[in-house]
Amino acid sequence: MSAVIVVHGGAWAIPNGLAKASVDGVKVAACDGFSVLQRGGSALDAVEAAVRALEDNTVFDAGHGAVLNADGEVELDAIIMDGRTLASGAVSSVKNIANPVSLARAVMEKTAHVMLTSTGANLFAESIGMATVPTDTLVTENEMKEWRKNKNYVAGVMEDFNCQWAHDTVGAVAVDSAGNVACATSTGGIRNKMVGRVGDSPIIGSGGYADNFVGAVSCTGHGESILKVTLARLILSHVEQGKSLAESSQLSLKYMGDRVLGAGGAIVVSPSGQWAATFTTERMAWAAVDHDGLWYGLEPNERRKEQLSQ
Amino acid sequence: MSFTSVRAGRIEAASKYCSSVFRVIDMFPVVVVHGGAGHIPKERSEKSMSGLCSAARAGYVILRGGGSSMDAVVEVVRQLENNPSFNAGCGSVLNAKGEVEMDAIVMDGKALGSGAVSGVCNIANPIQLARLVMNKTSHVCLTSEGANQFARSMGVPEVPPESLITEYSRMRWTKNLAVDADPVECQMGKMGTVGAVAVDSEGNVACATSTGGMLNKMEGRVGDTPCIGSGGYADNLVGAVSTTGHGEAIMKVTLARLILFHMEQGQSVEAASDLGLAYMKSRVGGLGGVVTVDPRGHWAARFSSHQMAWAAAQKDTVHYGLYSGENFTQSIDDPL
Repeated sequence: MSAVIVVHGGAWAIPNGLAKASVDGVKVAACDGFSVLQRGGSALDAVEAAVRALEDNTVFDAGHGAVLNADGEVELDAIIMDGRTLASGAVSSVKNIANPVSLARAVMEKTAHVMLTSTGANLFAESIGMATVPTDTLVTENEMKEWRKNKNYVAGVMEDFNCQWAHDTVGAVAVDSAGNVACATSTGGIRNKMVGRVGDSPIIGSGGYADNFVGAVSCTGHGESILKVTLARLILSHVEQGKSLAESSQLSLKYMGDRVLGAGGAIVVSPSGQWAATFTTERMAWAAVDHDGLWYGLEPNERRKEQLSQ
Repeated sequence: MSFTSVRAGRIEAASKYCSSVFRVIDMFPVVVVHGGAGHIPKERSEKSMSGLCSAARAGYVILRGGGSSMDAVVEVVRQLENNPSFNAGCGSVLNAKGEVEMDAIVMDGKALGSGAVSGVCNIANPIQLARLVMNKTSHVCLTSEGANQFARSMGVPEVPPESLITEYSRMRWTKNLAVDADPVECQMGKMGTVGAVAVDSEGNVACATSTGGMLNKMEGRVGDTPCIGSGGYADNLVGAVSTTGHGEAIMKVTLARLILFHMEQGQSVEAASDLGLAYMKSRVGGLGGVVTVDPRGHWAARFSSHQMAWAAAQKDTVHYGLYSGENFTQSIDDPL
């Protein structure tokens, strides 16, 4: 069994100014996650490490670099899921946490619950000694500028249903050498979202799903559309019916476009080590590491390969 | 192709799902209601059953008058939220801190429109707030203080916290503060989550689910109820499901969506519900119950727990039951 990790940095109309930094960011995160697998770490450890790297990178809308809501605040959502037992942890609308994916993992491992929201999630973070960070440290100069420019969320939606406002959620899926799969997804949501808006990312079956018998998925794109079709679970239901990972992803994304007019992207791994990265938005930054090397892309059908630097 | 024409093409593609492809001549509108799965104490079961039957009747009257399945499920759940016998709205269980935090979801099978609220306080009818999220925002789910902020902006009145707390819920909360108490074991549906599914005369399906969650839950705990695909799902092409039971287990298998996948594969409402519940039991050790309809008006109320209080109304007959195998009936014209 060969280990694989796939990461994404969000499916949307990534502007040229962010293109290189986005691709570089997902490549680094994929390598970080893969090195965990190489050291014998679990798929769960690998997706957490990869998503932490993306959360720490200000290019992406998760952790540092998150977008601001209508009140100019940062509210973060994240999920993690372990395909062995279907155990899952999620946080929604949490504030002042640099790595929400690690808080989601703590919800999974240290509580009897699956999901904690808002101040309850922050109280839990405090109770386990997780450090909080000042809001300013999570917000970039660029986001402050964009937020002021684009304060009217409704106008943003009308201008272009899919793409013009940042929703570059990050995520990772992995399979380890024992054949266990896991997924993790983290996001700051949509710029100028209503206070308390929860998107697809922390919702099990929408933002992600992992099951050792089928595979693992992490989704990105228009959150409300992803929720309406429970995209992660939908993709895996096609896989269960015997379709390939790529075909399952394409069918599901096309269905989301037809049925609820939403665009997005998904990364998938199977327990046997197959993988796919698919999107219906203009661009999606993604990278994967398998036994062959480092794969990555940004444009539709773009698939580049590099030898892994040891 | 210009952007506009791409949009137009997509809307056309989408509209084929919205037309009443499933309109059949012998469609009988139906509403199916549950009041929670688990163990219902005897002294409370009678009140639960009469509350459910009267809510099912109210939903059915809406359907019989040509009302939509969405109107019916929201009215049913609103009545159950107002009934202190159920763990939703007034009568909700208390969290570890002794407060009420509620979750609710609605979903409309026509366009997959959905609205949900999680961790909301001081709202008498979270189900109506969830419907407002669906109808008045571009979002699907609002949480905590943000949901309350939205409620204020919509003119939904806030109610005093005590108005939602019953003597019974406070007594159970106090009991579970004892060091040797096992709230997880004890909470299983003694008073349950409430939910409803319905099919209207045009073949549109809808679901609604509302809950106070789990007894002595951590502050901010969100269960299956407001999570689309777990607490409920509705799709005119397949059917609608509302779930109840151990929330964390329901989430791990996305129970509502799982049952509908089985129906897409050709299973009946009963078989699909049983398959979903059996899988949840074997894979994650969780018990629960569901109410399920398909767009042709077939319905089922199934559970793997010891009991589930349920009622259904179709063809002017109310069906109801509490233990496995029960199916009592009364005429819609019988006095309550």
